[in-house]
Amino acid sequence: MSVQHPAPIPAQAGIGLRAQHFREILDAPPPVAWMETHPENYFGNGGAPLRILERIRAQYPLSLHGVGLSLGSTDPIDHAHLRKLKTLIDRFEPAFVSEHLSWSSIGSRFFNDLLPLPYTTESLEHLCARIDEVQTVLKRPILIENITRYLTWRDSPIPEGSFMAEAVKRTGCGILLDLNNVYVNAVNFGLDPLEFLTTLPIEAVQEIHLAGFDRFGRMLIDTHGQPVYPEVWGLYEWATHHFGPRPTLIEWDTNLPPLSVLVEQATQADAILGGCHAAAL
Amino acid sequence: MPRLCELQQAFAEAVIEGKHSAVTSAMAADGSALRSLALYRRLIRNNYAQVLKITYPALHRLVGACYFGVFARGYFKHFPSISGDLFRYGHHLPAWLQRIEAPPLLVELARLEWACHEVHQAADSAPLAPEQLQAMVSADPSRVTIQFHQTARFLSFHVPVHRVWQALQPDASPDAAIDLQLPEEQTGLIVVRSDGKVRVIPLAWLDYRLLEALSQGASIASIERFAREAESGFDFTRLMTTLLNLQVMAGISVKEGICRTPPVS
Repeated sequence: MSVQHPAPIPAQAGIGLRAQHFREILDAPPPVAWMETHPENYFGNGGAPLRILERIRAQYPLSLHGVGLSLGSTDPIDHAHLRKLKTLIDRFEPAFVSEHLSWSSIGSRFFNDLLPLPYTTESLEHLCARIDEVQTVLKRPILIENITRYLTWRDSPIPEGSFMAEAVKRTGCGILLDLNNVYVNAVNFGLDPLEFLTTLPIEAVQEIHLAGFDRFGRMLIDTHGQPVYPEVWGLYEWATHHFGPRPTLIEWDTNLPPLSVLVEQATQADAILGGCHAAAL
Repeated sequence: MPRLCELQQAFAEAVIEGKHSAVTSAMAADGSALRSLALYRRLIRNNYAQVLKITYPALHRLVGACYFGVFARGYFKHFPSISGDLFRYGHHLPAWLQRIEAPPLLVELARLEWACHEVHQAADSAPLAPEQLQAMVSADPSRVTIQFHQTARFLSFHVPVHRVWQALQPDASPDAAIDLQLPEEQTGLIVVRSDGKVRVIPLAWLDYRLLEALSQGASIASIERFAREAESGFDFTRLMTTLLNLQVMAGISVKEGICRTPPVS
């Protein structure tokens, strides 16, 4: 496979681009370093979303964060979906293209949710073949993101971090590290987040996601509907020292607040990144 | 341990049909399996309900979250998602509402909203060039047909459903009463997109029938003849002016030759 490395996004904070903020962003571009969006929202043939994305892309570096490829599914890859993604990539030249370490379809039926794989040798071989297939079509490496899970497979012998590290080694993909997901899994299943984080290959981690969760009883749910929690900020400080400064995204999907709240959170991330940059000098 | 494919099929069976045994045997035996599956089922259903709410915002406002949730759950059972791209997920909602014998107004409102949803992201088209208009004017009208932009949809209803749709738009006054007792009246609408915004424009019924026939490939001459038969003294020039003002013509075909504006990339 021959892939080219995309131009990097600066190691600063960006925000998730959501339609509710389009007008505000166009009228007064916020002081953030970059933006990320879900490519599936721009799979239409025309109309305002594509034109708005064009205008925003002219002002900000962009990352495309997919939610619909169903990388871990045992169904064949949806090549129509992949072609649409490639068309968007060619048009908008995003710095990163990412997907999730998950599956979401079987027997041609989609659940449009991020479902966990068991971390087995079979899953690893399957996932790596799929990542290879996607990277070959897209002609570039992708980043894969760790997800939250709300179940435990009985037979899942490979630790998640080792599973991701091996996928990186075999396919040349990178890692999008979602620290909120790490924290949510750690609380829900009594895990040590640092055990996972220290297993990841440092250079492979190219982007970090920060988001908020909601509590449902004893469970934490990754809703992307709250500010980043103090515990996750704490993990972020640790991660920026361990991995070095990385482009960092404030993700917010539900219960969407005014744009200024996202910008404030990005500023907070930038302050931590700034400390990390200063320490490196 | 079942193979990955079997595991994914077992999970699907549990979420869709409630058949848990195959998948729970592959999950941790700590008593959490059924709770986990219930959580996933809830998250998945909520996602789809949210997609339908975004696709059918006026319908959601009209019936309220609770009633809408009932529709969404029924729809989820009968119309599974077949794509990682959720744009077309709600395509069958009008048919589903009809099947469950929902009030006809809701079916009609859903039809209108689906058209708006499609038009919102339909392919862009350039306006008709002056030389094409000239070609239309100078050609034999019996040989001229018109292609319409993909950003235009003709829809007919038995009630003026657009009044309810309009009253449910975010910019409508929240205090204005919505009259749901719509009179029985043939209603023709064109849904168009201009400057990125979707508009719903009511047309006089005869105008609608004529323009809709044009969009189906009828020639200019044939609709002119039909108009004069339907209404003596029909002002055909006014109709053509209406058509021009709508800015929905993508191309003109003169039999034995096509004159079409290429789509905008």
